[in-house]
Amino acid sequence: MSVFETIIYEIQDNVGYITLNRPKALNVYNIQMRDELFQVLGAVKDDSEVKVGVLRGAGERAFCAGADLTEFLTAPSPTIARQVRWQRDVWGLFLSINKPMLAALHGYVFGSGIEMALCCDIRVVSDDVQLGVPETGLGIIPAAGGTQTLPRIIGRGYALELLLSGRWVKAEEALRMKLVNRVVSREDLWSEVDQLARKIKVHDANVLSYTKQAVTRGLDLRLEQGLELESRLGASLLEEMMQEEAT
Amino acid sequence: MSYSAIICDKRQDFVIITLNRPEAGNAINQQLAQEIGEVCQQINQDDEVRVVVVTGTGDTFCRGSELAVPCGVVAAVAGLEQPVIAAINGDAIGQGLELALSCDIRIAVNEARMGFPQVTTGLIPMDGGTQRLSRIVGRGKALELLFTGEIISAGEALDIGLVNKVVDRETLISEAEALAEHLAGKAPIALRYVKEAVSKGLDLTLEQGLRLEADLYFLLHTTTDRTEGIRAFQEKRSPDFKGQ
Repeated sequence: MSVFETIIYEIQDNVGYITLNRPKALNVYNIQMRDELFQVLGAVKDDSEVKVGVLRGAGERAFCAGADLTEFLTAPSPTIARQVRWQRDVWGLFLSINKPMLAALHGYVFGSGIEMALCCDIRVVSDDVQLGVPETGLGIIPAAGGTQTLPRIIGRGYALELLLSGRWVKAEEALRMKLVNRVVSREDLWSEVDQLARKIKVHDANVLSYTKQAVTRGLDLRLEQGLELESRLGASLLEEMMQEEAT
Repeated sequence: MSYSAIICDKRQDFVIITLNRPEAGNAINQQLAQEIGEVCQQINQDDEVRVVVVTGTGDTFCRGSELAVPCGVVAAVAGLEQPVIAAINGDAIGQGLELALSCDIRIAVNEARMGFPQVTTGLIPMDGGTQRLSRIVGRGKALELLFTGEIISAGEALDIGLVNKVVDRETLISEAEALAEHLAGKAPIALRYVKEAVSKGLDLTLEQGLRLEADLYFLLHTTTDRTEGIRAFQEKRSPDFKGQ
């Protein structure tokens, strides 16, 4: 397994653990992390040994406090930056992983940090968590999918409030908004997420993949098309099952 | 410009539009519709306006409409490019609730009640209610409210995410003003782009929405506010955004 500078990637019992590992810098997202995340997410996507992915942050204070702004003012021209964005589409890759992805969130979860968590399917947080999207206060908007993923998860009303105001929310309010699935204590966070990963990974990999596809792609379709997608995916599972029984 | 059915109070960075027909529960009529249309058009052409607040005189936000058909009030408010805060000072019923739903952030007083009673008179909401309600509270709760015509309390509205916050009547306007000032301190173009990315993005596939977000993000690279925002953060001071 290759060694990364900003990320630890380990596979244990069919669970791929991605740990953001710049604890001294509150795990802020920089170009190096982008490149390493791109490799790791590709591995999670392609490696059949990995059935479930877990994203978490090292250190006491933060899952990820956002993007490394020191790199922002040296950014290339808008046209070059845009070109690079799509040449190495880390968020598109993240969202294309048809495996359950769990986020274990603690401490500061801001900007790119919350956006990474929103690329996951299930979010478990510790009771010390603080989440926010501060971009409009920096003269920018989210760029890791936040304006798209957030309203799809918590609805237009809450999403616009958080995105426009940059307000921080704590665990209980995040739970009420359905921004997170579960709140646990700090010391139980990783073990709770492990337990959830174990509960999910016993299921057939195709079943998990098709379930995720049916829900996420289905939400982008008209209901009629979504129902067609669901029955097509279901039928191919039945077919696989019958083939297995026949052999 | 002087108005009779609304009050338009222009402050430093934001505008408060107050529906001003208290004797009629601030119901929408032709005059009010025309004035709202005019003021919204002006606001969209005025770069100084960073945030808009919509509220009502008296103890009703808006009890509905006196007109048989939609008259453009909701569409005019929904067409504002700036963040719009609804300061719901009392009942928001029928078209009044549709007006509140066309705003971006909703703060309501404890006593406010909300609902779509149209079903009881053999009608459906005609000014975006069936579309915007489900996009805010989800399909299940939306259909329940639309089918039953039930009028719910501010507390229930908070529980289902129909309003963002519930406050005492005495503090409503100061809360709304404080939020407007807070938003006015953010980068104006970024605020507009966030609103556009969320509102238009929900009509797109996720993939198309991500493209829209990225394009707007890179457009902001050309603004001086972006440099100011990042510098201010690094220098640990408040940014001074010019909307440029």
